[in-house]
Amino acid sequence: MFFARRFSRSLALASLTVALSGCARDAAPTHDAITDDFGDSLVVGAAPNRIVSLNPTTTELLFAIGAGPRVVGRTSYDIYPAEVLAVPDIGPGLRPNVEAVLATHPDLVLLYASADNRDAAMRLRASGVSTAAYKIDRIADMARVTLLLGRLTGDTTSARRTVDSVHATLDRVRRETSTLPHPTVFWPLWETPLLSVGGGSFLNELIDIAGGRNVFAELPQPSPAVTFEELLRRDPDVILSGPKARLRLIADARWKTLRAVRENHVLVIDTTMINGPSARVGTSAVSLARLLHAGAKF
Amino acid sequence: MIAGVMIGTLRLSVLDVVNGVLGIGAPIPVSVVRILRLPRVLLAALVGAGLGAAGAALQGATRNKLAEPYLLGVSGGAAVGAVLASAFHAPVALVPVAGFAGALVAVALTLLVARASGGRGDARVVLMAGVVVGAFANAVIMVALANADASAVRGALWWMMGSVAEASWVQVRALALFVAIGIGALLALGRAIDVLALGDDTAAGLGVDVTRVSLGVYIAGALLAAGTVSAAGLVGFVGLLVPHLVRLAGARTHRAIIGAAALAGAALVVCADLIARVAMPPAELPLGAVTALIGVPFFLALLRRLA
Repeated sequence: MFFARRFSRSLALASLTVALSGCARDAAPTHDAITDDFGDSLVVGAAPNRIVSLNPTTTELLFAIGAGPRVVGRTSYDIYPAEVLAVPDIGPGLRPNVEAVLATHPDLVLLYASADNRDAAMRLRASGVSTAAYKIDRIADMARVTLLLGRLTGDTTSARRTVDSVHATLDRVRRETSTLPHPTVFWPLWETPLLSVGGGSFLNELIDIAGGRNVFAELPQPSPAVTFEELLRRDPDVILSGPKARLRLIADARWKTLRAVRENHVLVIDTTMINGPSARVGTSAVSLARLLHAGAKF
Repeated sequence: MIAGVMIGTLRLSVLDVVNGVLGIGAPIPVSVVRILRLPRVLLAALVGAGLGAAGAALQGATRNKLAEPYLLGVSGGAAVGAVLASAFHAPVALVPVAGFAGALVAVALTLLVARASGGRGDARVVLMAGVVVGAFANAVIMVALANADASAVRGALWWMMGSVAEASWVQVRALALFVAIGIGALLALGRAIDVLALGDDTAAGLGVDVTRVSLGVYIAGALLAAGTVSAAGLVGFVGLLVPHLVRLAGARTHRAIIGAAALAGAALVVCADLIARVAMPPAELPLGAVTALIGVPFFLALLRRLA
């Protein structure tokens, strides 16, 4: 009889626990829901193990916070870090092939939040896959999304550390270049038509932080089209370009009319980081500062 | 008079630079602007001359007032060449060459299709063959662009909208030679085209080899158009409109029409380029867009006059 009472008490206790945990499970979603940049909400459940990242910037951020091994799909444009090349290429990040994505059996898909991707996001959700879309265009977005990715992957410490480290570097560069003279900079993103880094791009923020002044900073778009004659009028001190583009520019009769080309101030930058602000913005700022302020130490 | 307008516009550009009227006020050495402006204006003039002459000759030879230089699949073929070059990330210098090659292939295809349909000398058959080849070219372009990345698409679209922004003296010299030969050939055929205008049978009766002359005009016209396309992309409406204007102004014989159309075409495209440059600073409008925008009201006015 003693055993019977204990048994029934244990049973009661057990059922109570089960009932309570059931309540707790129902309560959890409202606390741990994330809203993505499409306005859709996503439940933070168990950490995902098979992540498809359809945006080079989110891929870089995932690797930066240590979630690289969990990435099972990437876009054709994802080339950094080197380990990502071993991950299967699912195709383009805009208007992705939903079936190809689903074939990798993902438990989380990250998209770039452009109107082109709304359809894919909807269809992935309808197939039961957790999907989040983010626009990572400015440096502030990098911090926001890194922390969100930390929550989603269950590793907020690593995410916080990454963000803090990048911010520390950026602040240091800004401080150290604030006392140096600011050269005017032109950064062509494309030649035909001539597109410049504009005020809306994180690259403009980088130029600011590194102690330069973008000659087209007052244009609000991220990559506005500009005319060559306008460029000539603004007469930048420095032109930034990739290594191959530089060889073309310095040999071209039109570009040689610019003072920066004649004075050999066409400087080479790493163009693999121009896709979007990833965890590399810190080191990019340092490299850019070194380029713009030759001789100064960072 | 038309030549005066053209030279006037040219002078206007340089003078304006010196006076800073065109919004480029700062002290820019005139020699510097000569590297940017002069090749550009000359290239625009050559493109206009080539298109005007080709349009005039083709309208005469096909006896169709709506004929224009891009007729024989030239625009479609050139676009295919340029788009494929962009999609495969060929070096930028190769895009015009690819455009030219594409245009040649398309023209050859058109003439082959026309011959296979039994009427190489028959203008209507040739025109329809051109439409068929153009439609095929559009399909190819759509497939190429659907699978290309964003930068290739943007580069291809920009090229298709037409521009003389990247004019260089090398291009000007090459096109000048091309246009001179092309217009020369068309002028030489001018008299024969006059006779063609009377109708195929009448012309044959008067001793003109209809097939050969027509072919000569198609090929010379298409080559001229292909040359302009490779230098400046697709610049529409010029070849269609200018012959009409010139005929309205009183030119009668085809030699006069072709010659005057060349001059008027040059003036028109130089003006269009000016507008493209100053309309929306600091960006630049595509040349093809400006010629279309100018062309449409002109053409409407023309239609009202004809009606």
